[in-house]
Parts: sequence; C-alpha cells; structure tokens
Amino acid sequence: MKRYVAKRIAQAIPTLLGVSFISFLLLHLFPGDPAEIILTIISGSEPSYAEIQRFRREMGFDKPLLVQYIHWLSNALRGNFGVSWTEGKPVMEIIMQRFPASAELFFTTFAISLAFATLLGILSAMYRDRAADHFCRIFSLLGISIPSFWLGLILIWIFSVKLHLLPAFGYGGIEHLILPVVTWSFSFMAIKTRFVRSCLLEALSQDYVVTARAKGLRERVVVLRHALRNALIPIVTYFSLSIHHLIIGSIMVEVVFSWPGLGSLLVESVFKRDFPVVQALVFLSGVTFIVVNLIVDLLYVVIDPRIRYGD
Amino acid sequence: MLRRDFLKYLALSSAFFLGCAGKAPSSTPAPTPTATKMANLYKSTFVLGYGKDHKLNGGKWGIGFFPKIHVLERLVEYDLKKDDFVPCLARKWEVEKNGKVITFELERGIKFSDGSDFDASAVKFTVEWLKLNHPLGRDTFDSAEVLDNSTVAIHYKEDGFFNLAKMAEFHMSIMSPKSVRPEGDPKGKFVLPVGTGQFRVADYKEGRYAIYEPNEYWYERFGIEPKFRKFVVDFIFDDDTRVMALESGQVDAISDYVHGGSAYTPRNLIPQLEKMGYRVFKRIIPLTWIIAFNYKKEPFSDVRMREAVDLAIDRNEVVKIFDNQVLPAKTLFIESAPGIKEAGVVYEYNPDRAKELVEKAGFDSADMIVDKAQSDQILVAQLVQQKLKDIGINVKLEVLETGAYRQRRDSGDYDLRIYYIGGTDRRFYLRMYWRFYPGCKWSAYVSERTGELCKKILKEFDEEKRKKYLVEFYRAIHEEHGVVPLYFDVMTVAVSKNVVADEYHLFHYPNGIPFGEPLFYDVGVRA
Repeated sequence: MKRYVAKRIAQAIPTLLGVSFISFLLLHLFPGDPAEIILTIISGSEPSYAEIQRFRREMGFDKPLLVQYIHWLSNALRGNFGVSWTEGKPVMEIIMQRFPASAELFFTTFAISLAFATLLGILSAMYRDRAADHFCRIFSLLGISIPSFWLGLILIWIFSVKLHLLPAFGYGGIEHLILPVVTWSFSFMAIKTRFVRSCLLEALSQDYVVTARAKGLRERVVVLRHALRNALIPIVTYFSLSIHHLIIGSIMVEVVFSWPGLGSLLVESVFKRDFPVVQALVFLSGVTFIVVNLIVDLLYVVIDPRIRYGD
Repeated sequence: MLRRDFLKYLALSSAFFLGCAGKAPSSTPAPTPTATKMANLYKSTFVLGYGKDHKLNGGKWGIGFFPKIHVLERLVEYDLKKDDFVPCLARKWEVEKNGKVITFELERGIKFSDGSDFDASAVKFTVEWLKLNHPLGRDTFDSAEVLDNSTVAIHYKEDGFFNLAKMAEFHMSIMSPKSVRPEGDPKGKFVLPVGTGQFRVADYKEGRYAIYEPNEYWYERFGIEPKFRKFVVDFIFDDDTRVMALESGQVDAISDYVHGGSAYTPRNLIPQLEKMGYRVFKRIIPLTWIIAFNYKKEPFSDVRMREAVDLAIDRNEVVKIFDNQVLPAKTLFIESAPGIKEAGVVYEYNPDRAKELVEKAGFDSADMIVDKAQSDQILVAQLVQQKLKDIGINVKLEVLETGAYRQRRDSGDYDLRIYYIGGTDRRFYLRMYWRFYPGCKWSAYVSERTGELCKKILKEFDEEKRKKYLVEFYRAIHEEHGVVPLYFDVMTVAVSKNVVADEYHLFHYPNGIPFGEPLFYDVGVRA
C-alpha cells in the first residue's frame, strides 16, 4: 500500500509540474510583451520604451523562460503568487478572502446533490421505465437544459419578489444560501442522477445480482447492498472529480446571486487581465483536482475490499 | 480502520466548512443628535442596491467612484451648463504661469468626518499621495506647497486650463492624511477613506456591502438634517437581480454606476418599474455612445466611408433598443455641453446619400468588434450591422470576451467598434483629453486638425476663446466624420414607493451645484 501511495504521488508530480507550467505560461501566451502588459495595467497608461526595458530587468523578464518558471514555481509552492496588478494586494490574501464563501456554497451544493442524485438514480434504476424513472429522466433533462442564470432569476422572482420568503442576493446566513444552492444543485445533480442510474443498471445486470435474487433476498437489499456497492467506484470517481468547482465555483450562480466566491473572482480577474490572480486560480484548481484524484484512488480500497494495492 | 478514519475526517471537514458560514452585516452605529429628530418620520436605515464594489481598501485607481463622490470632496466642482468651475473645498484660486501653478485658498472651518481640521496640509498630502500612487496624479502633479494653513500652491507638470479642469475629477478628491498608515505618509498604505463629504465609512466587506453613516460636520455645514442613521449599499452585480432586489423590498433604491456606461438599471425595465409604482429619476449626462473607426487603415481611412456610416444610422431607431429611455445623439454631446448650441452641427440620417458614397469609395465589407460583457452594445452593433448592409457594407460582427476584445482593440485589428466619449459632467474635459488628444491610448479619433484644436481647448483659460475652439472642434469632427454619435446616456435612480426623494436633491449639491452623479444626502425611507 505504502509503495502504491508513493508511486501515485511520484506519478502526480509530472502532472503537477505540467499544470504549474501552463499556469505560468498564461501571461506569456497572451499576445504582446508581458512587461508592457503589466506596466500598462498597473499605470493605466502606455509606458515608454525605457520604462519597459527597466521593468523587464527588474522583473526578470530578460532571463530565459525556464529560469523565470523555476522562480515563479518556487514562490508558488510557498503560497506566494505575487501581488494582484489591479488590487495591489497579495494574491493569496484575495483568494483566502473569497474561499470561505466558495467552500460554503460548493460543499452544501455537493452534499445535497450527492444525496439527491444518488437517491433519484437508485429510484430510477429500481423502477426502470416506470413513473419514477420517467420523472427522474425529465428532471435530469431539465437540469441539463435550463441555464443556471435563468433558473436563478426565476427562483428570485418567485421566492423573493412574489413570495417575499428568501433574499434575492447576498452572502450571510442560511437564508442567503438556499436559492444559490438550489440553483446550482439543479444542474449539478442532473447529469449525476443519470450517471448513478446507468451505473446501477449495469450492476443490476450482473450474475451476482441474479444469484442474490435467486437466494430470495429482498429487492431493496439486492440493490443497496449488492448492486450499489459494486457501482460505487465509477460514481465516487465521477462525484469527486467535480471538486475543481471548489476553486472555480459556479460562475453564473455567483454572479446572479452576488455571491462573493472564487468563481466571480476568476471572471473579474480575467476581465481585468489580472494575470497573477488568474494564474493562481488555474494552478490551485489543477492542484486540487490532482490531489483529489489521488485521494479517490486510495478510497477505492475502502469502497471495494477486493482491491489491494501492490505490497 | 481506514473506513472509520475516512468518516472521521469527513465529519471534521464538514464542521470546518459549516464554520465558514458568514454572518449578515450587524453594525448598528449610535444615533447622532441630528438624526434622532427624524427618527419618528423615517426608518433609521436606507438600503441602496449598486452594481459595483466600492473598493474602500483601494485599488489601481484608488477607492471606487461612489465613495469618491459621497465620502470625499474636491477643491472645485464643474457646472456643465455654465462651463464654469465653481468653489467647493477651495473658496477661490489664482492661476499663475498659464496654469503651471494654481494657488488655492481653502474654505475655513471645514472638518473631516473624524473631527480633524481640513487644511492646506491635507491638500498637500493628497497631491503627494496621488502623485506616488495614482496614474492620473503621476501624470498631473509636480508638487504642492503649503503657503499657510488655508492656502496651498499646486505645481503641475505642464501648464494649461486642463489642470484646473482635472481638479473636479473623481480621482482628485481630497482625503485626510489619516486615510493611510503611517498617518500622513504619502508612501503609506491606504487604509480607509476619511473625507469631508456627506458620509463616513462605518463598515465594508469587499464584494458584499459598504455601510456609511452621515457625516454630521458636512450636514451642519449645509444646515440640513440626515433622514437616516445608516446608509447600507449592497453590491448586486447582476442587473436583473438588482431590479428584483428592489421589487422584493430587500433594497429601498437602486442606482446606476456613477461612472456611467455600465452596471446600470436595464433601460427596457424602466417603463415596467414606473408602471409598478416605482419612481425612476433620470438625468441626462454628457456621455455619448459612438461608432469609432479604425481610421488608420482601409476602408475607414477614406472619409467617404466614414461619412457613409454616419449618414446610414437612424438614431431614432437606435434608442428604440432602450425603449426610448435614452436620447438620440444628433449632436456630438448633449445640448447643455459647452459650445454645442453655438456649433449648430447636426448629424443627419440620409441612407440614399450613404449608398452613393459607398459606391464611389468602392468598399463593401468591414469587421466590427463588440465586447460580450456590454450586452446592450451587442444589440446596438446588430442594428448598425443591418443599417450598413442596407447601404452596401457587409459587416462581420464579432462578439468577443472582454479580454479578447481589448486585445483586438489595442492591436488595431478591427474596422468598427462601439465606444463612448464624455462621461458625467465632471469628466467632460478629461474625456476630451482621453478620446481626442494626440497620442492617448484610449483615443476615439485624432487628426492633425482635431488634435491641434483639442490641445488649444485644454490650454485655454479664457471661457470665450475656449468655446470658440470647442465650436471649431465639433465642426471639424463632423466634417471629418471622425466618430458617429449614436445616443446620449442617462444616469438613473429607481426608488420604492416609501422612499422620499426628489430629482433636484438627487442631482444637486446642497449649494446648488449640479451633479451628474446621484446624491443620497436628502433621501429618507418613510417609517
């Protein structure tokens, strides 16, 4: 097991380096001279040639790209992504200010979606081609088809404007959380419901299910204890990989409900061409994805006792 | 064992994230003596929905435009109708060396909202802070010299009338030396704005809200009483959500971004709001949306093509996109802008003549770029595309993400784009510089003739001579078809039925100076 963990971590390193290199390159891939871009954004006016040359030397842009990358990476690994060009504050400080709101929205949505998507997926599979299955299919179809921003506005209109039950926007107590979570959950769980259904249907067609039924086990036990358990690996993988939303958030939901999370920060930073913030968010999103992927791999042992790693 | 550990960590992480949950603003300032008199008539809190963060901790351009108007004041203000700079924190001023030095004599007895005195050292501090920290300050100021407690001489980098014009600009607002740490150090870290204006900052949460309280010194100075004790500004970034927040009663009023041009109440929702009983106050501002050409390359380096576009646009049709809530721009700026009436220039609609010009010029296609974030401008661009097709120009319309749009704009890889000139009243001359002065990054059109006239306008202190140059400038822009005016923008405030507000006080300072930005010092919410 330890060897496997060490091997997986070692395998993750090149991917992490790749993610970091892409994040670093964002500034350099943008057309134009990085020194000129930065100076223009910081000063709000067009810099002179002499200013650009001086700035290029000061910032190390005159050094080879690889040297610049190593310097950037060594800082990034220590959590130093530099200073925001538009806010003048350390990037990590800006990100940490927004992180709690993003985490709150994401984990609540994730928990609710996980519970409901699993439940609806099971119902759909258990009652295949019956009313419950049709309902779940229509629900999933709507969830996939309805744009989040439109659903958000409709929910605001119903629950805030007409019924005066919930706030139309903002970040605060539980009441502020309800509409954004419902909006996001609707699309978040739509595909996942379908995924749970198809995984479960596949498991239900296996021989061991036929055996379980032949033994006279109740259908509920067959589905939940035998089929679902065997279908869990792809389901857990699929759910866990949505973790990157923690960093990039649900941009549309955050914008519609004025939710001060990382998704809206990413949009603002892209619009303002605030590259240090964009680089940090892309890098952190990639790192989170890779780390969660690794954890999910290790979780397989918990989910399926038949799986044994390496030793 | 491993399973149990997993559940344990899951429970711990859930507890952590639940702990991240924020709390609603709970700041309740103590009532001021003047405010308590109004307590029976009005609610203690006035809540405004606004589309931009106030950036009270500063940013590239300092704090937001809203607090620049509501927390700070400027040495002078600008009266657009009279084309006159009028006293505000400065009672009078003396211009030397054609504006290279302006000596301001300050009003006495004015206090900052923290009770400290406003004096010449605060002006010197602001000038030095702006020079070090602000792009406009860096380009403008040389130094400031305290002559006595209430007299300060500001030395500018260049001479000209433009220096005085800039003093009414948002960014040139005066702040207390206590706004930075260490106090009074121009190199110090900006903390929070402390000014002489209507309100002081009580609380601020980035991206969420700003809470202000009336500045009793300001209210005493003008002999009026505030009708609320707390002014909460909620940042609601989505335009439709902002309108629904008003309809739901979560906010008492919504207002356009005081800069103009974005984060405004959707114009087509205004008649609907009025029908529902909300009052919408509109103030026309000298901000004109235009078609800007890439006049340095074909086809629009040919003046006939520019004229054709000019003649092809039916401005009355353009304003229908906005449900006629904005005005068609048949002149370069609104009628009250200096020199517009005297110039007598009117932009016409003549598609037949436009067609002839296109045939003569021999071009039949063009690329138009538009910023995806400006959804109204996409509709305008689509109408322009249709109108140009009618006269024989096939326009390839590209709706681009903001970053990509700016990149194309800055590299000059386009033929046409929707842009704006002017701004709120105070920015009239500043935008004249940014849009028409030779060598400016954000220019709309510059030719040898218009560039020279622009230089003269911004140099000339004599009002009559300046007006003469302005008239010549408007005529030159029209003759050269440098830009195509489309419509004049407005600044709006929509209030719910229980809000007491009137148009005069919303757009005038208590001493009668007209403001292009809405002011909330006299607003109250009926109890």
